[in-house]
Amino acid sequence: MSQWMTLFNKEVLEMWRNFKWIWVPITFILLGVSEPLTSYYLPQIIKSVGGLPEGAIFEMPKPTAGAVLASGLSQYSTFGVLVIVLGTMGIIAGERKNGVAAMILVKPVSYFSYVTSKWAGSLLLVWISLFIGYISTWYYTGQLFDWVPIGEFFQSFALYGLWLTVILTVTVFFSAALLSPGLAGFISLALALIVSILSGALSHLLEWSPSQLTSYAGALLTGGKLPSDTMPASLTALLLIVLFLWFSVFLFKKKELAA
Amino acid sequence: MSLIQIKGLKKSFQGNQVIKGLDFKLEKGKCIALLGPNGAGKTTTLRMLSGLMKPTEGSISFSEAKKDGDIRHLIGYLPQFPVFYDWMSGFEFLQYVGKLAGLTSKEAKERSLKLLELVGIIDAKNRRIGKYSGGMRQRLGIAQAIINRPQLVILDEPVSALDPFGRREVLELLERLKKETTILFSTHILNDAEEVCDEIIFLHNGEIVESGTMDDLRERHQQAKIDLIFHRKTEGMERTFRTHSLTKSILVDGNRISVFVTNVESARKEFLKLIYEKEWQLDKFEVSSMTLEDVFMKVVGK
Repeated sequence: MSQWMTLFNKEVLEMWRNFKWIWVPITFILLGVSEPLTSYYLPQIIKSVGGLPEGAIFEMPKPTAGAVLASGLSQYSTFGVLVIVLGTMGIIAGERKNGVAAMILVKPVSYFSYVTSKWAGSLLLVWISLFIGYISTWYYTGQLFDWVPIGEFFQSFALYGLWLTVILTVTVFFSAALLSPGLAGFISLALALIVSILSGALSHLLEWSPSQLTSYAGALLTGGKLPSDTMPASLTALLLIVLFLWFSVFLFKKKELAA
Repeated sequence: MSLIQIKGLKKSFQGNQVIKGLDFKLEKGKCIALLGPNGAGKTTTLRMLSGLMKPTEGSISFSEAKKDGDIRHLIGYLPQFPVFYDWMSGFEFLQYVGKLAGLTSKEAKERSLKLLELVGIIDAKNRRIGKYSGGMRQRLGIAQAIINRPQLVILDEPVSALDPFGRREVLELLERLKKETTILFSTHILNDAEEVCDEIIFLHNGEIVESGTMDDLRERHQQAKIDLIFHRKTEGMERTFRTHSLTKSILVDGNRISVFVTNVESARKEFLKLIYEKEWQLDKFEVSSMTLEDVFMKVVGK
């Protein structure tokens, strides 16, 4: 356990030294907060850039607070995913490629700890960044529109966190399985995209798909109720996380460290 | 007592056999050099010993390995091009590695300071490794390899990348380490091996072409040769040595006469007596000692 903590502390310290603890939360704040701000100020923005043509009647319905928050949240399933994948794809592949993994793993370090400590470090970063970004969005939505109940905030936060964790774990898996960080990132992104599109298109067949967690969170914020498929989708997500993590360790163990 | 036994070790990459069956033993407390030209398979061999690569065939058995075959607590390894976390300081890296190797925080701290002192980079302990010079990185590499007092220290070309001063210092460091642990290091610089090692293994094209202690090798490859340098050489000298009963052949080069003899011991006595009797003015008398370079050329050349 103390060895695991040593590895984990190193991950946290490294993210501090390369400023991930600064730029990832800031990115998440910007992504989320821009939504209530632009929705609220849109009439003024349109006016200030020249307005609508004479005679055009354009009634802009004021969106509900839930809808604004939901669309702020949806930023995280696109740009947020991109940030996570780009930030994590080199986590193991990079260390293996430059050789430092060989320096560390000739010490009596458990492969399981090596992989899981890296995963846990990124997990912490993702959840904290998501929380900071999302609660800022919630706050601005409350100030500019209406206050969304804090219970709904936490539920939708947890669902999104779970989906982002799936993405993170898949990226860690490809980072452990492949030698090239770029390739690991590309495959993870492509996979996330395909799963999201498929699950969206075939939502009546794939209601248990973890990528649907994002639409269920949206449904909660706009409709005030969680769809009944949230449970199976969450369970699939958890199962995938465990499986991919386990495969990461398994594959990594089998690889020769010196390329 | 032998620490490791290597039997029939083979390694292929995509069907291309790089290591063609090595058998050797490493004795405890010895310093062994793995010598060979570039591409002989030295790095591959060391990587297999350190567990970073799996042999295609054959076995590596450590006498003190754990039940599951894990040997990592027994060895310290320095790759040819050591890589560190450049954002850490040297001191931080050593403590990190020390803790990973099972030391407590306090032990790791003390041991790290001691090693930084030993390898001579204590002044740079708080500097980021990214700013270290090549020589400092190599020293830090040696320090991290011995942090957990391993029974076997494996060093891949520890001095090849260093300038003459750095080389000298690292060799002196190895000399000191030798007293505490078993060292196996690879090099293509013959002098380095000759200087610090007790035993030598010559690798060529993935095979051991020669091995043994320095004395063994000398004995085996010693050419019975006596070099004589005279103050002034005369025709008579050349003739005398050429026709001497112990002489096989001679080489003359200016004032130097090199005599290949059938028996060094008797030639030494006879020649000295002869020179004394004839009152030739001798500047230098040398029974040639075989250098590793000679052995190397001989075994690799064929």
